[in-house]
Amino acid sequence: MSVVSAFMKGVTRLNEYVGRCIALIVFPMFVFLILEVALRYFFNSPSVWTNELTQLLFGVYAVMSGGYIMAHRGHVNVDLLHSTLKLRAQGFVDIFTSILFFIFMLALVWFSFDMASESFESRETSFSAWNPPIWPAKGAIFVASVLMLLQGIVRLLEDIAIAFNLSYYDPAERKSHSEEGEA
Amino acid sequence: MSIEVMTLLFFGSLLFFLLLGLPLAFVLGGVSVVFLYFTWGFDSFYMVVSQIWGTMESFTLVAIPLFVFMAMILERTGVARDLYRMMYLWFGGLRGGLAIGTLGICAVFAAMVGISGAAVVAMGAIALPSMLSRGYDKQMALGVINTGGGWGVLIPPSILMILYALITGVSVGKMFAAGVMPGIMLMVLTTLYIVVRCALQPDLAPALPKDDRASWPEKFRALRSVLLPISVVGMVLGSIMGGLTTPTEAAAMGVLGALISAAVYGEFKWSVLNEAAIRTLKLTGLTMWILFSAHAFSSAYQSMGAQALIESIMAMIPGGAWGTIIAMMVIIFFLGMVLDPVGIMMITLPVFIPIITALGFDPIWFGILFVINMEIGYKTPPFGFNLFYLKGVVPPSVTMNDIYKSIIPFVLVEIVGIILIMIFPEIATWLPELLF
Repeated sequence: MSVVSAFMKGVTRLNEYVGRCIALIVFPMFVFLILEVALRYFFNSPSVWTNELTQLLFGVYAVMSGGYIMAHRGHVNVDLLHSTLKLRAQGFVDIFTSILFFIFMLALVWFSFDMASESFESRETSFSAWNPPIWPAKGAIFVASVLMLLQGIVRLLEDIAIAFNLSYYDPAERKSHSEEGEA
Repeated sequence: MSIEVMTLLFFGSLLFFLLLGLPLAFVLGGVSVVFLYFTWGFDSFYMVVSQIWGTMESFTLVAIPLFVFMAMILERTGVARDLYRMMYLWFGGLRGGLAIGTLGICAVFAAMVGISGAAVVAMGAIALPSMLSRGYDKQMALGVINTGGGWGVLIPPSILMILYALITGVSVGKMFAAGVMPGIMLMVLTTLYIVVRCALQPDLAPALPKDDRASWPEKFRALRSVLLPISVVGMVLGSIMGGLTTPTEAAAMGVLGALISAAVYGEFKWSVLNEAAIRTLKLTGLTMWILFSAHAFSSAYQSMGAQALIESIMAMIPGGAWGTIIAMMVIIFFLGMVLDPVGIMMITLPVFIPIITALGFDPIWFGILFVINMEIGYKTPPFGFNLFYLKGVVPPSVTMNDIYKSIIPFVLVEIVGIILIMIFPEIATWLPELLF
């Protein structure tokens, strides 16, 4: 069973690391936007690239956050009924509902791969004044989906361990589910 | 399968999986994939991915992480603490003064940040212990913080308004302008409620004893604390309303203001900024993932033709145009108890907005009603974010039950506010018409 728990720890650690790096993208987004305002008003020379680059960074930032948030169990859910169940019953319910999660993720992984490879093969650009390549941003959807799928598998393994009292995972490790959340 | 049965199954499975505790983003995404398969087949899943890409390409949404980041930094600076001290010196001598002053700080905070949690956390940590130790009633103190914190989404800037503008196609600047007067009105109404309640039951919120009150020079010195927040507000709202920048760039100006505040308070440290960045990623990311899958969801139900069905059901509601508006408000109110605002927007607005415009109502006005309703949703159990935020910072003597009970009178005040805006739409529409 040690292979299983090593896989679970590894995936969670990977998502943790990716999330911490992705979180830093907020700094360049801020800098580019301020730079654009400064260029426009103080130097009277608006640029063609700042807004579009910020845009692309934001897209990557938003989509890549998924795995990290999953690793922290941060995606908002309604725990009205769920929280009244015993831990093992929760495990069974979670195994059942994960079917819908995997349907969604597999569709995403499959078709985001299609989209990204099409975009890469044609070296797709945005056709704006600056005209940067956009395949890296489309590729990020695929990478993000795979990371979320992996974290979802980890979660399913946790739920199976809880439901069937298996030893490779200790439910005490599960952090409290309600962390941050709100728009 | 008939469209009626399909729609029933569609929304039924949404509710079913939600109640079983699967996160909203995955319920929306999964349900739409399954239904797309039965209506358009396997290849239609490409649409789900292209919806995600379309959402990533929206420049307006870039404002979200920046406004959140700004709030996360401001929450950690001493801005809230100094504001509270100022207010304590000025209003402490009045009956209910600390409660009214807390409302004022919440309004200033709301004008700086675009989310509702920041003021709740800051005031729950600073104002609540202070009010309780001065003999304020537990529920009065809790209710004030909860209600004031919710104004973050009504008084501009506001992330909910940005999303509303994006979905409905109205201008973000107009939405922001429309929120100003209703925000002030709610503040006046809530203050009136506190004044009247304290006049009837003086022991709920006693005035400070004479020796604890401040001298005039002290009071004026404390006024300095408002300078920094006011200039941050000026930077953000001034640049949007003055037409200098886009809302997204104004959000970056706000981050600049927050960073300056952090520097003034000696909190300009890597540890503070890094932690703020990580919390920003979490909050932005979960909003964006709901948006990603909700886009897929609403296009799935449009492609099924469910929209026409819901429109015809709405048309059957008695009471004409106003009956429809009230029915929508009631639906949103109950959804607000269990769902989060972004999800509610994505599910209801694509259906509601065409009806609203067909009936001849102003979508900006409806947007304000919607946002106030969402604000109530933030503080109504079982699923109100502010309740959990507040529970996270209060002393152990305050139970979740205390928090639940504390909000009842304040929710009623806000419902009165919604009714006033329905009767006098000018409260919302006057300022945007004047400015734009």
